[in-house]
Amino acid sequence: MQLERLDPLAERLAEGDPVAPRNLVERHYAELYRYAFALLREERGAEDAVQDAFERAFSALGRYPEERLRNMRLRPWLYRITLNVARNRLRRKREVPVEEVPAVLGSDEGREGVMDVLAALGRLPERQRVAVTLRYLQDLPYAEISGITGWPEGTVKTLVHRGLARLRSMMIGDSKGGDPA
Amino acid sequence: MNEPFAERDAERMRALLRETGERIAPGSDPGVLVDGVLAGATDSFFAVDSPIGRVYVAAGPDGVRFLAPASSPEEFVRRYRERFGRLVSPAAEDRVESLEREVAAALAGARAEVPLDLAGTTPFRRRVLEVVKDIPRGEVRPYVWVAREAGSPGASRAVGNVMATNPVPLLVPCHRVVRNDGRTGSYAFGADEKVRLLKLEGVSPEEIEDSPYVATPTTGVVCHATCRNARRIRPQNRRTFRSVKEATEAGFRPCKVCRPVAAA
Repeated sequence: MQLERLDPLAERLAEGDPVAPRNLVERHYAELYRYAFALLREERGAEDAVQDAFERAFSALGRYPEERLRNMRLRPWLYRITLNVARNRLRRKREVPVEEVPAVLGSDEGREGVMDVLAALGRLPERQRVAVTLRYLQDLPYAEISGITGWPEGTVKTLVHRGLARLRSMMIGDSKGGDPA
Repeated sequence: MNEPFAERDAERMRALLRETGERIAPGSDPGVLVDGVLAGATDSFFAVDSPIGRVYVAAGPDGVRFLAPASSPEEFVRRYRERFGRLVSPAAEDRVESLEREVAAALAGARAEVPLDLAGTTPFRRRVLEVVKDIPRGEVRPYVWVAREAGSPGASRAVGNVMATNPVPLLVPCHRVVRNDGRTGSYAFGADEKVRLLKLEGVSPEEIEDSPYVATPTTGVVCHATCRNARRIRPQNRRTFRSVKEATEAGFRPCKVCRPVAAA
């Protein structure tokens, strides 16, 4: 994992390639948006969170010395920043009633299904929620998730497994649900 | 407990989660979103022609922060990052179109108010740059004058340092600041370049070097040699001085327009 090849985009950032910042945003916008939306469950909030995350990221990248830039693993780093931003937003939101969420949705059935899944995800303990989201919604391999969260791969697997079991019992109504040993 | 059923449910759950992921996509146009992120998270830059050749100009939301020649955009981006700790990306057209026009006009010698962002500097530096910004084309002022005007009389040498590291040369015309003895002195882009720029603006360096101050008995006033009042003095009335002190001793008083420093 640590010996992974350098990210060519990090190298281009370090060398001052003028389009590197744009390419970075283009490369990660959609996935970070999906992640933020899964956590926040609203469009506007997700857009703002991603904007915030990139602003923080770029402000840091501007201050890093060239060597550090060159060795950046940008993707997991952006995921971490996005999670922090989304977490802060959730914390702030908790003071306000959260029930305004479905109003944004319209009547499209598929979107309601999405909201049901996300609502169920939202009821998981945070570590399980993050692990399941990264594994299935973001479709990331365990190694990458471990890089993002800093948790060992085995831990990630356990969290995904437990989260999935809980979701199953919430959504499919498996009466035998709960955490498998 | 029926294992196959449990596994089937788990598989359904995984499929549902994957489908959920696929369904979540940004609502707005991706191009607009990317532009929005860049506008908020990076400064922007563009290239423009100037009297010292092609230069790059970087601006934040409050105005121009940096102007410099560079061998490549990459070099400029790196220098900007090192100096300001910010990333720059090429300006999206609509974002700086008017700024680009203003800068081009100002560099071509037109009277254009270019918004400058000098926030990342000390108050003294900013005051000095503000003073120098207003030295008109075709005129020069000595360091000692800039120091006095910036509220720090005696800080001549410090003014020299500010000029040497001026983040926005040409827009803040530090080439119009000359030595107290009237010689043109050094310049970030070379002493010869300074002379060339001044000549381009209608200043005669030789003339100033001999006599940085000019007075006339008709008004009893002493000016900087390039002051617009000094330019109106008829040749037969023209008295030249090496210092304001000499002129005041000869009975002249400092011009109220160009305000030469009496001690100089």
